[in-house]
Amino acid sequence: MLDMVLATGFIHLTLGNLVMWLIAFFFIYLAIRKSYEPLLLVPIGFGILIVNLPLTFLMEEGEGLLWRFYHYGLEWEVIPPLIFLGLGAMTDFGPMIANPKTLLLGAGAQFGVYVAFFGALFLGFSVPEACSIGIIGGADGPTTIYTTVHLAPHLLGATAIAAYSYMSLVPIIQPPIMRLLTTEKERKIVMKQLRPVSKREKILFPLVTVVVICLIVPASAPLMGMFMLGNLFKECGVVKRLSDAAANELMNIVTIVLGVSVGATMSAAHFLKLQVISVFIMGIVAFAFSTTAGILLAKFMNFFTKEKINPLIGSAGVSAVPMAARVSQLMGSKADPKNFLLMHAMGPNVAGVIGTVVAAGVFIALAG
Amino acid sequence: MVDWELAVKIFLFGLSTVFGSLAALIGAIYAFGRILKLLEKKGN
Repeated sequence: MLDMVLATGFIHLTLGNLVMWLIAFFFIYLAIRKSYEPLLLVPIGFGILIVNLPLTFLMEEGEGLLWRFYHYGLEWEVIPPLIFLGLGAMTDFGPMIANPKTLLLGAGAQFGVYVAFFGALFLGFSVPEACSIGIIGGADGPTTIYTTVHLAPHLLGATAIAAYSYMSLVPIIQPPIMRLLTTEKERKIVMKQLRPVSKREKILFPLVTVVVICLIVPASAPLMGMFMLGNLFKECGVVKRLSDAAANELMNIVTIVLGVSVGATMSAAHFLKLQVISVFIMGIVAFAFSTTAGILLAKFMNFFTKEKINPLIGSAGVSAVPMAARVSQLMGSKADPKNFLLMHAMGPNVAGVIGTVVAAGVFIALAG
Repeated sequence: MVDWELAVKIFLFGLSTVFGSLAALIGAIYAFGRILKLLEKKGN
């Protein structure tokens, strides 16, 4: 009888497990009731829950099911590049090709990455750990995961959750900063309608980009290569089946495995540490500075450009596609209901993804 | 002990690479845009 009781999980439950259950339920609640990144928070929340059930050994090295997902999916660097393949197949680079200077806004918005990087160093994190924390400021979940697995795998749960949480909180974090840094007059700037982009340009773009970026930062090739391959599938028009598979079935499957694997790294023993709180604090610092830098760079560019840029689109340089662009649109239309900024903001928004991948590539090359 | 020399190197190299690579991409987009226009003109 005693053996039977000992074989159940009840008496092995710890307070830490119960706290992690609450965190799991909170994420699942946020996903279901508030629609905050539900595609990720549901599997992440569930992963947290089941990995904190005693005696299940789901993360037992070499044996556990979730360990296999984590090991072969994340440690072998398979899942983040596949997510990028899907993202590429869903991304329209047209607005960015039509107005290439908005690429600079995507670069400017990476500034927060380096602010958080130094912040983390001052808090006592090592250089590789600081790189993993800093990259949260790029607001790009798969890139954050990819960088963390490379440089500081023990922080994976914290950085991934921070990245996805802040991405879902973009509509709350960004508007106050946008209001603070722009005048009413600037928010009312109407941008010229974008020119139509030809099919040829859209086909050439992924080919040119992969060559240019991977020659400059070879370490970005796994993510950038898959991103541009997915985009080529979409734009070339002759592999619709592959494009659909990358954007739908494959994307959905890898999202499930990614979410559960990330959640599974959050056992009580690994997650309930002071370090994790520091990661979350630095994450929001990174986000705020990235938003600020994007807006200020747009204002700075207005000194030199003939056609004025509405600084509200600068904040979209943090990746968080398309949420950040939607926030720019919303803020712009509040200032002037006739102002339509969404397509203009999509340029820096997708440029931000490229910028974050480049920043991650440099981190991995120098700190790895 | 933080390796500040490496940290500063990562910062300087990282930020300049981000701007440099995206600036190179801007140049490439303008360049292939021009080439495509020229080819279209010749085709016409």
